[in-house]
Amino acid sequence: MDRRLSAYLLATLGVGAIAWITASALPVLGLASSALLFLLPVLFASARGGIGPGLFAAIIGATAYNFLLLPPRFTFRIHGLDNIVSVVALVAVALVTSRLATRLKAREREALAQAAASAEIAALSALLTEGEVTTAPARGTAWLAEHLGHVRLIAGMTDLEGDAGFSALDLSAAAWAVHNGDITGHGSAVMPVAEWSFFPLSPRGRLGGGLLAVARPAEGVPRSEGDLAQLQALAFLLGQACDRSALEAERRERARIEESDRLRRALLASLAHDFRTPLTVIAGQLEALAATSPEAGEALAAARRLDRTIEDLFGAARLEDGSLSPASESLDLVDVATPACDAVPLPDHIALARAIPPDLPFVKADPVLLHHILINLIDNAARHAHRQVTIEAKADAGRVLLSVCDDGPGIPEAARERMFERFARLEGSDRRQGSGLGLAIVKGFADAMGIAVEISDAPGGGACFTLAMPPAEGTAQ
Amino acid sequence: MSRILVVDDEPAIQRLLQAVLERGGHAVLPATNARDAAALLGRGGIDAVLLDLGLPDRDGIELVGAIRAGSAIPIIVLTARSETSEKIAALDLGADDYVTKPFDGDELLARLRAALRRADRSAPVGDTIAFGPLKIDRARREVTVEGTPVTLTPKEFAVLETLTEAGGRVLTHAAILERVWGKAHAEDVDYLRVVIRALRLKVESDPSSPRLIRNEPAIGYRLAEIP
Repeated sequence: MDRRLSAYLLATLGVGAIAWITASALPVLGLASSALLFLLPVLFASARGGIGPGLFAAIIGATAYNFLLLPPRFTFRIHGLDNIVSVVALVAVALVTSRLATRLKAREREALAQAAASAEIAALSALLTEGEVTTAPARGTAWLAEHLGHVRLIAGMTDLEGDAGFSALDLSAAAWAVHNGDITGHGSAVMPVAEWSFFPLSPRGRLGGGLLAVARPAEGVPRSEGDLAQLQALAFLLGQACDRSALEAERRERARIEESDRLRRALLASLAHDFRTPLTVIAGQLEALAATSPEAGEALAAARRLDRTIEDLFGAARLEDGSLSPASESLDLVDVATPACDAVPLPDHIALARAIPPDLPFVKADPVLLHHILINLIDNAARHAHRQVTIEAKADAGRVLLSVCDDGPGIPEAARERMFERFARLEGSDRRQGSGLGLAIVKGFADAMGIAVEISDAPGGGACFTLAMPPAEGTAQ
Repeated sequence: MSRILVVDDEPAIQRLLQAVLERGGHAVLPATNARDAAALLGRGGIDAVLLDLGLPDRDGIELVGAIRAGSAIPIIVLTARSETSEKIAALDLGADDYVTKPFDGDELLARLRAALRRADRSAPVGDTIAFGPLKIDRARREVTVEGTPVTLTPKEFAVLETLTEAGGRVLTHAAILERVWGKAHAEDVDYLRVVIRALRLKVESDPSSPRLIRNEPAIGYRLAEIP
């Protein structure tokens, strides 16, 4: 039953009961005590129903007192000041009590609302922090949907484009919320006519771009300021869960990449071991024989070339899986050329000419990759040269050029583009030895370092491979 | 005759190394795992260790640290891996040198000879140190190449002195930088490259094709005996 109505009923019954009691027991109770008893229904009615039932109780109480008890009894006439005082006192008690009761009730309502709000926050917070971190935002959104009706978790404005659930006005409210980190839409000060309210997921000043969208409540009761504050608090909680989820997802992705990288390295290391152990034995035994047998010498050279091919295969694997991350160091080309020349023993009939001025600017490159490139270029040149391989370097128009040239048959203009394709070998010419992998590695590694590779004719015939490298800053001399 | 402990789990490599080392006039003690190697080392009488990094029972790099913790015996690391980081780790832990499989037998013997010679010179070297054509008088801070005096800046002198003291051993970039420039500059390889270039202009007979100061790509520098 309605609280007010029951208060009126209480007032009527209470006054009736007191009137009956006091009227029948007036000689025993006396006039003053009877008047006091009439305060009771006024107190109860105004405490329960507020000012209306309180005044009502006061008025019918005063009327009944006047009519039934105050002499002359059974008339409404009032004699003497004390009787007027009694009536006024009853009315005053009704007013004061009802005010107090109203205030108390308001306090109680507030406390209840606050407790409910805290409970909501505690419940959502518990839901978000317990269990799987990455699904917390989805769980939180589902929970909010259960409690608030239509809600949507919006990671960024792109989520909203083309979504039929949002009008153009909603979209601009959302955009405003993202841009200003402020509550917008229904119930707020910004575009309150929108169908949705938008709450940023992170406090102002740390704009993550995420929003919580809450639809206008179906009952049509507008959201109060307190409601908005509560929703904003929930949205921040959800935002924190989103942050944690994103961090966790990132951490897992990193761990996954590291693990696959570790596996790849372990696989390559074990492959290297499996290839190189027999190769070491073969080359080692041939080396002992090579002193006396030219055939063994040839076999030894073949074994060493096989080792370089294995190195190329590992290089190709690194290019393939995208795990190549070249260093960028300042290198002296003298430092680069010498060990590469030493690493490729040339046949006796081929001479190596080196012209690397010791005052060239340093170049920016990865020392290991550049070493590998140069070994492949020297190896390639040695296989096609008649008598000589030339390595020369010079500074040219802000670049440093390093060329490896042979005096072999050269490469026709039309075939040059295909030279760097994997397994491409030049048909119909005598440039046919080799796996075809070496030059692809040259190109792949050079691309990774931002170094251009050009093919040209060597002066007097033969092929020239030229690396055009950026100079390292501050070392030009 | 030197006694060389060869630690490698591949019998074929053991046989090959035995042949190569005997050719060089050394005696070989074979071990196929880290435990046996440690036991043999404990018995003493070993002049140098050839250590494969891929051992069945323990990471070879750890073994380098373990050996170095108790002795100054020369260690040459054998590795089939192309990763420079492993070589640097082994060198920084105190390995004297490394050889990559497949290796050249004569080169291995030359490295071993150099390592044994350094170990032989056990007492701290005196005022004068020499390597190949180089002579360094530390007290007077004078350097001669084949008898001809050369003038070096203090940094050039310090780098050359460091390399010469190592006597043919590879020094990592970080090791040289820490020694000459201090720990704070262990990463500043550029400093070192500039000084090395200047040094080559003064001490190499052909600075564009250096034979004395040799670069190990991405690892460091060593002095080489001019062939």
